[in-house]
Amino acid sequence: MKTGNEFTAVKMMNGNEAVARGAFEAGVKVAAGFPGTPSTEVMDYTQHKYPEIYCEWSTNEKVGLEVAIGASFAGYRSLAIMKTVGLHVAADALGGAAGSQINGGLVLVVGDDVGRIAGDDYNDVRHYGNMFNIPVLEPSDSQEAKDLMVKAFEISEEYSTPVILKITSVICKTTSKVEYDEDYTYQVKCREIYPVSFSKVIMTTIMTKAKGSEHPKLTKCFNDFTANMKRLAQNSNDFDMNRLELNDKKIGVITAGTPYYYVKEVLPEASVLKLGLVMPLPEKMIKELAEHVDELYVIEDGHDLLEKNIKDLGVSVIGKELFPKFPDMMRFTPDVIEEKLVPNAPKRTPIEGVPFRLPVSCAGCSHLFISQILRKHKIKAAADVTCGLIGCFPHMESYSLQKCMGSSIALAHGYNIAKDHKENFVAMIGDGGFWATGINGLMNLIFNDSKSTVIIVDNSCLAMTGGQNVASSEFGFNYKPENKLDIATVCEAIGVKDIVTVDAYEFDDLEKSILNAVSAETNSVVIVKKPCVTKFKLPKETPSYIDQDKCVKCRKCIDVGCLAIESKKAEDGSVEIVINQDICTGCRLCSTACKFEAIKS
Amino acid sequence: MQDTGKNIIIAGVGGQGILLFSNLLSKFYMKLGYELKISDVIGLGQRGGGVESHFRYSDKPVLSPFIKAGDVDYVISFEQTETLRHLHGLKEDGVVFSSTYELTSTSVNTRLQKDLPESKTEMIKRSENETFIVDPEVHKSPDFNINKMMNVVMLGYYAEFRGYSHEEMIQIVRESVPEKFVEGNIIAYKKGTEIANAELASR
Ligand code: SF4
Ligand code: SF4
Repeated sequence: MKTGNEFTAVKMMNGNEAVARGAFEAGVKVAAGFPGTPSTEVMDYTQHKYPEIYCEWSTNEKVGLEVAIGASFAGYRSLAIMKTVGLHVAADALGGAAGSQINGGLVLVVGDDVGRIAGDDYNDVRHYGNMFNIPVLEPSDSQEAKDLMVKAFEISEEYSTPVILKITSVICKTTSKVEYDEDYTYQVKCREIYPVSFSKVIMTTIMTKAKGSEHPKLTKCFNDFTANMKRLAQNSNDFDMNRLELNDKKIGVITAGTPYYYVKEVLPEASVLKLGLVMPLPEKMIKELAEHVDELYVIEDGHDLLEKNIKDLGVSVIGKELFPKFPDMMRFTPDVIEEKLVPNAPKRTPIEGVPFRLPVSCAGCSHLFISQILRKHKIKAAADVTCGLIGCFPHMESYSLQKCMGSSIALAHGYNIAKDHKENFVAMIGDGGFWATGINGLMNLIFNDSKSTVIIVDNSCLAMTGGQNVASSEFGFNYKPENKLDIATVCEAIGVKDIVTVDAYEFDDLEKSILNAVSAETNSVVIVKKPCVTKFKLPKETPSYIDQDKCVKCRKCIDVGCLAIESKKAEDGSVEIVINQDICTGCRLCSTACKFEAIKS
Repeated sequence: MQDTGKNIIIAGVGGQGILLFSNLLSKFYMKLGYELKISDVIGLGQRGGGVESHFRYSDKPVLSPFIKAGDVDYVISFEQTETLRHLHGLKEDGVVFSSTYELTSTSVNTRLQKDLPESKTEMIKRSENETFIVDPEVHKSPDFNINKMMNVVMLGYYAEFRGYSHEEMIQIVRESVPEKFVEGNIIAYKKGTEIANAELASR
């Protein structure tokens, strides 16, 4: 593969932008998906830079992947974008596509969390490669992110299989140079070679029972996916993206992704097998390296999947016994490799006791108003995956249950029926989570006669990932005012008995609405409206300040969880509670928490 | 001696314009013909989380996107708690540029964690590395909110320290920031060069 062969331009790109460029060069016609850090920007770049490509944020990842599968069957190269936790939602669709006939190439770009400062959901998309027997590619830098994207589509068509391009936070957020052909003209091809494409259940039923038959009605359903994958594994020994760098005979390393570069930096003499295709594995290359060196290591971020697959080939390799996995290690760094494999490497230890930064909501966020009211009235509640989940962290303690995207409504319903509705355990959900899968929870709650209360936070976008459009937004790729879905109307149509809509900043109203809903005898929904402060850059009011003569330092205002309220040590060592004037938006929430009227504006 | 390249950690909290800083600096080094890798590491949460950018330029291809502890030439930090988080990574002859601005960590605000007992500024000054401290309070004026422009002030400061062409840098600022912010950014840049100039002269 030599897509970078005839480059005319060099540009600094991060991994997300490079993937989008690759999609353009591959002639992708349709891109669909759901936002999720770190890979959200792949869609943003695709849409902004390459308007030729049809883009949509779908209601959730499963829908997005299904859209891409449909477009692929129509004969056009199609792309699905999501993060790994999103692929869990879409896994059923992927299982359906795996092993089936592929017309236009079908590629999933999936982001793993590896490489963030704080927190990692510790998923690894490569499990889907093993489970569904489909290829997984992993780039080491932006140039490869672009090039492998093109290659992924070729593999998808040549071997009739969906292909996963795994990217990590490190790839997505690292900027490095990309060489490309500036004058490249976008080309879309239609490749309709299979008249049908069925899930494995249909296909294998026909293939195994009608083996040997030549009747075209039967053979058109055949797709020998296991043979395809064997052929791919065989051919992968000759792929440029898999590279054997034979050097020193002492240490050999099998690696992929950004860890390849950590290895090159720390162990410049080592022999290295750098994999671009991480599944299936090039057996011949692995065995050649194993023969060449005394000690063979595998250095991979995420789970021990390369390690297991290599061991399955009968090759012994040192991996997690030397480099313990999560939670002992969040991710590989050059430091980790040096510590273990370079004798007498100097050790550097960070200064102890530097305070940790818990995540905080933006000043003026509507979620803070809801968290405050729930806490004030000791209302037990479930949070969803939304900016509001910051209310779960120990500095706020507004929620006692939180799991996955779209779950809170069903979680609350389950809790309430188990407790015979003696308590009203409330569900809080964002508009993104509501449309993603929460709406199913709400329908379920209605027809199963639950009395639960749901707070839906309508901030007009999917705020947590940077403000992408959802079904009820007034903007978006394919937005038309007449197609906007209205949350209240949908709730009503589903059969919710008691629906009220309030402005988040009207504290008294909001408080009353939530209390009324909680005590209602029926199911109820409170829709809390306020556009996301950050996405929509809401105009600031006069900032609040604390009158130090009145402040008793009870810290009740700090519990609100606003980023602008700080405890500061004064020169004389005494502590003051102050409001950061550059950050405060003047939303006045904190003054509802202060019993001493110390907060003024 | 020819500069073969440096490893720089740029640190601060969300909203301080770290990405703009590294973007402007990368354009400068690109023009000089260097190879670059810039890796941004972000926390969870929309605002106020720690942000760090690993910025590497070299006359040879850059390998690891992360700088190994012990290989850092410069720490440029807009928030002093974050400065402390990165001091241990410096080379012996590494240099620190730090603002004394501080955004108290949530864990300290809520007393989930104790703050460091000593003055952070003093801890930074006491480090074995050469340190340059910028106190925004000293340079604040009614018509110039330095806290909002610390990134570009530090860019001017750093460029002055390195002896770079201010003309070139200002040209890059002009080309990169939206029209209506150009003037403000140039004022901030020049402020940074002035502060650095006075400091360097006094040493
Ligand atoms: S709630 Fe009021 S009295 Fe208590 S710390 Fe805050 S400003 Fe001071
Ligand atoms: S008014 Fe209070 S709660 Fe609102 S942004 Fe300012 S400090 Fe935060």
